[in-house]
Amino acid sequence: MIELRPTRWTWLAYGYAALVACALGYGLLGIPVQVSDSLNNLVEASQGSLYDLVYNQFFQRGYLRPFLWGLMRAVFDLSQGHYFEWFRGWHVGQVAVLSGLFVALLRVRRAVDAAVVPLGLAALVGIHTFSGTIREAFPINTFMTILLCCFAAAWLALGTPRWWRDVAAALLLVFAALTVETGLLVGVIFVAAWLAGARGLSRAGVAAQVALVVGYFVLRFVALGVGAPGLEERASGFGFGVLDRDQVAARFGGNPLPFYAYNVAVSLLSLVASEPSGGVFSVTQRALAGEATAINVVSVGSSLLGTALIAGYLWARRREWLARRFTADDQLVAIFVAVAAANVVMCYAYTKDVILSPAGAFYALALAVAARHFIDRASMTPARTAAASVVLVLLSTGWAWRAVAAQIDLRHAGNVVRVEWAYVDRWLERENLTPTTDEARAIITHLQEDAIWNHPARPTLAGDWLGWFEP
Amino acid sequence: MSQASSRVLGVMAAAPAVLATVAVLAFAARELSGRTPLSYGRPLNIAEAAGAGEVSEVLRFLRAGWDPSQVWPLRPEIISSTVTRATALEAAIWGGRQPLVELLDRRGFIRDAETRHHLACLAKDIGSDEVVAYLSPGAASSCEPGAAFAVLKARSNPQ
Repeated sequence: MIELRPTRWTWLAYGYAALVACALGYGLLGIPVQVSDSLNNLVEASQGSLYDLVYNQFFQRGYLRPFLWGLMRAVFDLSQGHYFEWFRGWHVGQVAVLSGLFVALLRVRRAVDAAVVPLGLAALVGIHTFSGTIREAFPINTFMTILLCCFAAAWLALGTPRWWRDVAAALLLVFAALTVETGLLVGVIFVAAWLAGARGLSRAGVAAQVALVVGYFVLRFVALGVGAPGLEERASGFGFGVLDRDQVAARFGGNPLPFYAYNVAVSLLSLVASEPSGGVFSVTQRALAGEATAINVVSVGSSLLGTALIAGYLWARRREWLARRFTADDQLVAIFVAVAAANVVMCYAYTKDVILSPAGAFYALALAVAARHFIDRASMTPARTAAASVVLVLLSTGWAWRAVAAQIDLRHAGNVVRVEWAYVDRWLERENLTPTTDEARAIITHLQEDAIWNHPARPTLAGDWLGWFEP
Repeated sequence: MSQASSRVLGVMAAAPAVLATVAVLAFAARELSGRTPLSYGRPLNIAEAAGAGEVSEVLRFLRAGWDPSQVWPLRPEIISSTVTRATALEAAIWGGRQPLVELLDRRGFIRDAETRHHLACLAKDIGSDEVVAYLSPGAASSCEPGAAFAVLKARSNPQ
């Protein structure tokens, strides 16, 4: 593999990614540390030693996520009581690194490479699977951590061969897999990249990846007996509604295979068409009732157009792929295909948009690659250029629209979290989580002060225009 | 491939997304400089905060010593052009926000039975059953329909 030297277009693309990270970071800093999903985790993570916290997580039932807790505790200790600054700053830092890795993976060297970066980043931020990685935090957003691991894995796999890449890849997989289950996708990325001709990792490095994934399953299901969450543990989207836990158990308890097949199928559909979401065909339902909103139409339309562009790329490159001749762009798209396949299978028991976030992030990369290819091929004649212009404007406008909607959603999330903090006493009572130690009480008081007094709500947006962005 | 065509297509692909980013950054810069575009700005008093359902702002006003049982002016866009003077308790009811009414009640701002009755009747007038149920389900039956709302309207339009 030949390492290409950066050009001014490379730096322009990084500069633009920095601007996108700033825009997103501004929205993220408007959200305090959450009550639900964060407060109890933070209080739990603060107790005992880091070693005990991580060690005990190896013996939980249903979930094996020790490094999720370890990272949380590490940032908690580093914060020295500055929770908002550290946890929210961590989230902003993650987004900045993610944006940078996005550009690095696209290998921007020419003007046309740089031109597709804004479209790709808009898709990265605007896709519905990304929302859960920025709207929430626990108080570190685990799914965002996995996105970073996945992009870092692709960067390692697609680089020039170096021994240290094998070591870094192994460490990355161990960390990601023991943070949250979707971290196993890191192994999928290394294997897919290798099969597509990328030699950042050696054969031994890829073999180690396979061994580590096998080791993970042995550790989880045989050595530790952690198992997997049961069918009846969560409500689940199905058709036009949501089945509660009892309904899921009653309907599919005897034979869960149709339920698993449904989840895998709708996860794939969700990735490529933005509908359904969380297993529920809500846009379809609204459309049938004549109540589809502008953002509903834009979301589905931009996804279908983007998917068509990626499908066009795959079709155009089919002979090269069958002959196992892959370019750097092919390798990126091949990783997307592999991650998409593995990610939708991982949703077999429970489909949720944010679980698909790795596939969504690689969708954005594949879209940028496909758009670059489209531009290279479409400008042969004036008529084709005109038609391609229309396609590209529609595509970019649609994804930009969704990216702006994501920003508005972040602002809304900030207000929702502050309402939670205003009524935190009631919430603690309701959830039976009333603090029993002075340390826990101090953390809660500190976080409430942060949410309401130290970092007050930004003014609520107003106007009819909001209707264009609200689902 | 023509260089010019490629350039045109590149601009077409990039321009809408770049414009969106620039718009978001311009918005953020304007807000950081002290004025939030596309909004009514911060609530000017505790009644506006309650009427807009901004409960965290209500808490901030309370800590700063504002009295939610006092009548405050409201901009027409907060509740309506006919309700421009109200207490924070009344404004909270207008938004149908039972938890906020309860929060203020727990802090002792519904100071007497007469106020509670007025608030329950106002909640009944505007169809906020949840607030009626919380404040005084039995007493609300003695409300004269529309009377509590009329008090607010009269206060807002004294002429």
